[in-house]
Amino acid sequence: MRTVDERARELTPPSTPALRLRGISKRYGPVVASDDVDLDVEHGEIHGLLGENGAGKSTLMKILLGLVQRDSGTIMRGDTPVDVHNPQAAVALGIGMVHQHFSLIDALTVWENVILGDTGRIDRAAACRQVEEVSRRYGLPIDPAARVDRLSAGERQRVELIKCLRRDPSVLILDEPTSVLTQAESAELFTVLRHVVRAENRAVILISHKLAEITAATDRVTVLRKGRVVFHSATRDTTPPELARWMVGRDVSLRAEGAALGMLPVDGAPPAGTAPAETASPGTPPSEDTPPTEPPAEPPAEPAAAPAPPAVAAAPGVPSGGAATEIVPALRLSGLTVTTDGVTVLSDLSLDVAPGEIVGLYGVEGNGQSTLGDLLSGLLLPASGTVELAGRPVELERPGALHRAGLGIIPEDRHSSGVVLDMSVAENLVMKSVGDVSGRGFVSRRKMHAVARRLAAEFNIVAPSLDAPVRSLSGGNQQRVVLARELSAGPCVLVAAQPTHGLDVGAIEDMYRRLREAASGGVAVLLISTELEEVMALASRIAVISSGRITGVLPTAEATAERLGMLVGGVAA
Amino acid sequence: MTATSPGAPSGTGRRLLGLLAPRTYGWQTPAATAVAVLAALALSSALIAVTGGSPSASVQALYQGSMADWTAWTSTLLYTAPLLLVAVGACVSARSGLFNIGQEGQVLIGALAAAWVGLRLAITGPALLVLMLLAAALAAGAWAGLSSLMHRLRGVNVVVSTMLMTFVAQQVVAYAVNMPWLLQESRVGNAPVSPQSNPMPPSGLLGSFGEYPGLQVNGGLILAVGAAVLVAVAITRTPWGFRLTMLGRNPLAAKHAGVRVNALGGAALAISGALAGLAGAVLLASPVGVNRLQPGMAMNIGWDGLLVALVARNRPLAAVPVALLFGVLRSGGGFLAATGVPSFLVDVVKALLVLAFVAPPVVVALARRRRSGGRTAGPRQEAAPVAEEAIA
Ligand SMILES: Nc1ncnc2c1ncn2[C@@H]1O[C@H](COP(=O)(O)OP(=O)(O)OP(=O)(O)O)[C@@H](O)[C@H]1O
Ligand SMILES: [Mg+2]
Repeated sequence: MRTVDERARELTPPSTPALRLRGISKRYGPVVASDDVDLDVEHGEIHGLLGENGAGKSTLMKILLGLVQRDSGTIMRGDTPVDVHNPQAAVALGIGMVHQHFSLIDALTVWENVILGDTGRIDRAAACRQVEEVSRRYGLPIDPAARVDRLSAGERQRVELIKCLRRDPSVLILDEPTSVLTQAESAELFTVLRHVVRAENRAVILISHKLAEITAATDRVTVLRKGRVVFHSATRDTTPPELARWMVGRDVSLRAEGAALGMLPVDGAPPAGTAPAETASPGTPPSEDTPPTEPPAEPPAEPAAAPAPPAVAAAPGVPSGGAATEIVPALRLSGLTVTTDGVTVLSDLSLDVAPGEIVGLYGVEGNGQSTLGDLLSGLLLPASGTVELAGRPVELERPGALHRAGLGIIPEDRHSSGVVLDMSVAENLVMKSVGDVSGRGFVSRRKMHAVARRLAAEFNIVAPSLDAPVRSLSGGNQQRVVLARELSAGPCVLVAAQPTHGLDVGAIEDMYRRLREAASGGVAVLLISTELEEVMALASRIAVISSGRITGVLPTAEATAERLGMLVGGVAA
Repeated sequence: MTATSPGAPSGTGRRLLGLLAPRTYGWQTPAATAVAVLAALALSSALIAVTGGSPSASVQALYQGSMADWTAWTSTLLYTAPLLLVAVGACVSARSGLFNIGQEGQVLIGALAAAWVGLRLAITGPALLVLMLLAAALAAGAWAGLSSLMHRLRGVNVVVSTMLMTFVAQQVVAYAVNMPWLLQESRVGNAPVSPQSNPMPPSGLLGSFGEYPGLQVNGGLILAVGAAVLVAVAITRTPWGFRLTMLGRNPLAAKHAGVRVNALGGAALAISGALAGLAGAVLLASPVGVNRLQPGMAMNIGWDGLLVALVARNRPLAAVPVALLFGVLRSGGGFLAATGVPSFLVDVVKALLVLAFVAPPVVVALARRRRSGGRTAGPRQEAAPVAEEAIA
């Protein structure tokens, strides 16, 4: 440990903060992304940064990294003001960042991506060794020789982390790093990070919408709202409900909060705002020690605004496992098999979803969910098997056939396949229905804007303007653009893959309400999620996927953590 | 941080070419462009002086040949028309994310088809001209479509295949004008026959508005400007153009949104070929040349048209003035060569000017990133052992 001590001495003494921001402001036209922000990050601490979608978290971090130029304010490293004009300067100052969106090159392998930007001779063996070393150290298993385009979202996230950690930054910024990691993975990552941060006197800034993660992993938290610091506290002196309230400016519902906290919804729990965060004790991944003590309640009474269910629709929330044979399933997947490069990613997958039903497809990331998502997006064809919508088989070879047959899909990787970053918000919102906003062969800008304005208002999309490119939206607002488009298309079947990733607590609440509303309106919802709480809170049946197979389907009422755990492990119940 | 442009192919190339996308960096880009153009002119003058010419006389000649009087303007416009047609086509394919760079060959195929219709079909009156133009567009469109087919069936890179097809096209035309049964000119008495076709019949020629010595505007120019307007409207205002833009900027999202990616990409390629083919027909039927099919008749119009699109950043309407500038350089350049300045120098000047227009945005963007000279190397090498120690 001598080296570590030496290293610690090299660094500025712990009394001065590792990083000090004073009066940082940044405007984008009328949008104030950062408003006079002060922030101190100490050596040896993990500092949580919270805030609604569009609160200005990513912008602040990009300023730190020299990717965005601030309008005013100073950045101090230790006691010296520094000028961070570009990412190279940030690297030289020992500041590293893992971005909210992937910045990997698909056609390259893992090790190539990791050493990208290095200068000097390329030593493949040494690079691979380094990747393995870092991956072992932080518990992020990855094959250095794998090509990135073959990796699942979770694996890509690991590569991003390794790429950054390998440079051994003394200040590490993580912008929603765990949105696609499994709970166990992120728990392990934070345990290791915590250890490294303490032992080597480094500093970490962690941005996350998962309050459980924040309470478990951080030492201090800062909450941003509309670019301003509104709350600052030591993590142990605050509670998740309090944080949620500071973020959104109002109380949030128990269920949404439960999901954000990583807690299972439990009937009879005290209402939001008064619930102490007993399940989110620091250091423990919350869901492991909180199995559902009671099956979740039936979905709550539907809001009055919900459209009346069509006559054929099954009552929402009624488990239809087996008894639903009289009803033609709205979505029927039968015998779907997909093989890529000789590996079977989906094997003989069959699943029915009845109208008005929410079925959760639960499993650990990388077990075929993304392949199923791609298939239902029309991006790839199965080797065998069929997809039927309302009893009619869909000709999968025809582009857009699934869409025309009434299937809406919220893709998992919204950034790469859900939006066109360089097109405007309005254009992205009407992307799948250009025909509807056109007349006499021309796209009507007036109609397009009318639709866009309505959707932006309904889904709380915060954008500089409807003509601004989607690129200029905050991560969460980019997500909302996709959600708004897909939910508003009036699908008969809605496939939602990780619909709440990257959303803030308020938006999660809204998303849950919308999915329930859709179901009660007769839409069949297939919810693909890696988050148990989410599936338990929404679905009436849970299908478990493991290694591309459905290992079991359980009514939510009968789903216990143990049974699901066995199914997830590939053991048929 | 990646930037995509409407005219970029997939992957890394898309990122690199993204640097060429229209972007605003305040006053810096226009200023840098002005400086670059001046530098290009200065360098050109220096080159002319070094090769023994007189810069001022050269500028004079350039002006004389392209803008001094109506005759000069007429010749400038005759070059502008085919350049513009090629450029507008290049805008369409680049927007879809497919790079067609085989216009030089497509121009020839268009001219070949038009010549065949004009000389071999016994039609008279205006119908002949219409048929010639149609045939040129169809043939060259199909020629470019072949590249799309190769891409779909065998995954052949479009950039490579369109370019290589140019050489095939040159061989095809050379063959056609050397075979008497195809298009070689008829033997008159004992005179030797050249590798070229007979001249087009009068009804197969594009007429002009205006009388010598005044300004003459050839029908080809009207066709070209019409195409530019039409394509601009189609690209920016119609659902088709909307899908095309989507395809070019994010093919995956386009596919996701139900766009028939292959069909649309193929159509874009075919349209760009068809417009290049029209340029070939215009070269054949307007008084810019000798109204005969000749192997060398494309005169690099295909390549220059690509440059026009590049400078215009794939905007069809912006291509109009740029094509005019290139027309000036061509007709003035011909005049310049007549004054004794080596003609390759004209090409060098052209290249310098293209660079002067294309490079500044990239340079400004790079300068922004590089400013304050940060180091790229991090402290990672010496950090590795520390990392090991920490877990031990
Ligand atoms: N390039 C840009 N041009 C214009 N506005 C921008 C730009 N980048 C960010 N903004 C605006 O700045 C605000 C803050 O965005 P930021 O990305 O920092 O949010 P965030 O806190 O990271 O949110 P999220 O949780 O959704 O990722 C948003 O309103 C966004 O629209
Ligand atoms: Mg963000």
